[in-house]
Amino acid sequence: MQGILPFVVRRLVWAPFVLLAVSLATFALGRFGPGDPVEILQGQYHNPEVVERIRHERGLDDPFFIQYGNYMWDVLHGDLGTTFAPRGVPVEDIIFDKMWVTIQYNLVALVIIFAIGIPAGIWAALRQGSWQDPLTISIFLFFRSVPVLVIIPILQFIFAIKLGWLPSSGWEERDILGMKIGILDKRIIMPILALSLPGIAAVARLMRAQTLEVLDEDFVRTARAKGLREVVVISRHVARNALLPMTTIVGFALVGLLGGSLFVETLFGIPGIGQFTWEAVGNRDYDVIMAVTLITASAFIVANLITDITYGFIDPRVRLGGGGPRY
Amino acid sequence: MRLFLRSGCYGLAAVVVGVMALLGGCGGEEGGPSDEGTPAAPVTGGELRLLGRDPLTLDPACASDVDSANYIVEVFGGLVTIDREQQIVPDIAERWDVSDDGTVYTFELRRGVLFHKGDRQVTASDVKYSMERALDPDTQSTVAEVYLGDIVGAEEFIDGDADEVTGIEAVDSYTLRITIDAPKPYFLAKLTYPTGFVVDRRQVDGSTCFSNTNWQRRPNATGPFKLKEWDLGQRIVLEPNSRYHLGAASLGRVEYTLGGGSAITMYENDEIDVTGVGLNDIERVRDPAEPLNQDFHEAPRMDIWYIGFNVGTPPFDDPKVRQAFAHAIDKDKLIEVVLLDAVVEADGILPPGIPGFNEELQGLEFDVEKAQQLLAESEYGGPDGLPDMEIASSGRGASVGPVSEAILFMWQENLGVSVSTRQTEFATFLSDLRDGEYQMFELGWVADYPDPENFLKIQFYSGSNNNYSHYANSEVDRLLEQADTETDEATRMSLYQQAEQIIVNEAPWIPLFHDKFSVLIKPYVEGYTLPPFVIPRLRYVQVEE
Repeated sequence: MQGILPFVVRRLVWAPFVLLAVSLATFALGRFGPGDPVEILQGQYHNPEVVERIRHERGLDDPFFIQYGNYMWDVLHGDLGTTFAPRGVPVEDIIFDKMWVTIQYNLVALVIIFAIGIPAGIWAALRQGSWQDPLTISIFLFFRSVPVLVIIPILQFIFAIKLGWLPSSGWEERDILGMKIGILDKRIIMPILALSLPGIAAVARLMRAQTLEVLDEDFVRTARAKGLREVVVISRHVARNALLPMTTIVGFALVGLLGGSLFVETLFGIPGIGQFTWEAVGNRDYDVIMAVTLITASAFIVANLITDITYGFIDPRVRLGGGGPRY
Repeated sequence: MRLFLRSGCYGLAAVVVGVMALLGGCGGEEGGPSDEGTPAAPVTGGELRLLGRDPLTLDPACASDVDSANYIVEVFGGLVTIDREQQIVPDIAERWDVSDDGTVYTFELRRGVLFHKGDRQVTASDVKYSMERALDPDTQSTVAEVYLGDIVGAEEFIDGDADEVTGIEAVDSYTLRITIDAPKPYFLAKLTYPTGFVVDRRQVDGSTCFSNTNWQRRPNATGPFKLKEWDLGQRIVLEPNSRYHLGAASLGRVEYTLGGGSAITMYENDEIDVTGVGLNDIERVRDPAEPLNQDFHEAPRMDIWYIGFNVGTPPFDDPKVRQAFAHAIDKDKLIEVVLLDAVVEADGILPPGIPGFNEELQGLEFDVEKAQQLLAESEYGGPDGLPDMEIASSGRGASVGPVSEAILFMWQENLGVSVSTRQTEFATFLSDLRDGEYQMFELGWVADYPDPENFLKIQFYSGSNNNYSHYANSEVDRLLEQADTETDEATRMSLYQQAEQIIVNEAPWIPLFHDKFSVLIKPYVEGYTLPPFVIPRLRYVQVEE
């Protein structure tokens, strides 16, 4: 255990610098990139005086580092700014609700992906050489290769229009113990299917490859040689070792899912953060873009840290390697 | 071009689709005001479900986009409004007089116009307050000057040289006098836009377009509907204002779903009652064998989609080059093959239906020989003498879209010129456009109010901030200035028509087409109109249970 603490401390010390770099880069991209939120507000009607006046009132004509300093000062005091679209709403009043929406259904999709992908990968590995192995993987790969933009209309056609089982889109929240929960409504079934179907293949393939690798290990041969039942060999020796690398891809899988959220949210009418951020970029809604970037970056730092610590616990080799991995 | 990205049913419109019985003056049931002459039809209930988008703002002073305006005109009201026949009619004002010189408007306010909450009546000082608030620089409206800037004293007030707008006088509680800087016949039309609509000063005091906007979640106003709920990104719910002074709406509830989703799928699955139809579905819904065909309606929109030239940059500084490019486009084919007849061909700038539309206008017709000849006569001497050319458009797609592709192909085929494309997303496009970075560009313009000034003066007057072609013609300027203050309607329209013909001939733009609404409306929805610009229309709608 002695390796973990300094490792964690070092990562935590670096975290603010990472956030600072991320915020500075994003801020600079917004301010120096083309387009201006006030001009967008005006649309084709253009009155340079009005633009200047509003830019001045909003502090958008201050020197870059003054603007950045003011912004970061406000952020440190819990003020994430206000939105341009819709106008004048505190950013924190909107984005946490929207993030919560996106996180809810993404977590469900993540659980489904691993719950199906892992057993399917092991199953396929154990049937290597038979027709069942390529068939299983091919089916998952099929869903992986069909773009989400194609899957969604097909799902909607089948389940909403032809069968009439599900509403084609929408998001209904229920109040459960003071939390707004949207994943208990049947509307969420199609979005979760659309998000998880493509992801299963990646997990199943990785799990299959890991399982095959572990099956070749000496300790598996030993376990079999000492007469353990096959179920025990697979569950206690093979699966546990093969699962190890899977912990590292949970984080990445979540990133992939969040990327797909944009389409899912747009086509299913889910008021999540993906769609909102996309609109914000188009509108040059600086404060929203900054807030989403900072929160996402913080979440990644924490998630990465947790992954590394977990990994250290599961695999002693990591923490015995002289203070843990350097990143 | 952005036109087919939107799902279409919000917005604008021209013909009355579906027939409905006129709301009679049959006495209020729900405790409407007892004043004579304020008919209140019984509220009969029925729910209308629409797909919408979050408004950018529900503050009338700040609204500058169609989405916001669509909600605002249902919830708020001003001195005048537009009815479904697209006539300017009284709203809070009961009648008005215009002075002989056309600059002084005296509005007599209707008595007994109540705010949604409580029993407070709207008075002339409420109107004055609302207009001055919109013009106040602290409010940070981007459009107040466009819509209210003609009022005497507005400029001084904006510049901080005056404490009030001297041209807006509350003569007594029910008389308001507005003086404008010159006789401008389109001034009343501008007042139908939300900017100067009446707000409750007790509610909005201290708010701007960008701060303290919370009141917009439950605005207290005077329109035909009350905002019951605005759950960001999820839904907006309207309920009828039973005391509405022009007659209460028949609908019991209007729900807008804001999250997005596939509109036509939602319509087919009976989740919404109205939807726009995109190009992908247009052939299907036009097929008489298709059940949806029964619900299909089309109506013109007051807009124009065009290719604009920057007349200050080579080679489009030579009118002959611009004319050659215009003559080389086969619009009939473009509209039939690429746009599936979902639009109307444009010869000129003004769309049909707008006052001043000229049936006799001579467009630059498709004529390959003439095009080639013009190009040869130009100072560039033919296709080989032309510099590199690029056409800019806004969009986030991977390709420029079929309309551009077809036009580029026609130029290649008919003139032997090759033009490259540049596509940027809207924010960048807009700022580059303003900086005059483009040789030519594709763009559209949608009417804000039904007047030719809204197209011709804004786009082609040499001093206009919106003249992205940098077109300048002293004769056109003179005609537009004269039309600005001409009080005789026929003369005024004739001036605009003359200006338009010169513009079309000199081709700073190639007008391509006017858009149409292609909409599905459920058979049980009656009176849902498709007006070509934003008007309060929901009070005419009835839904049969």
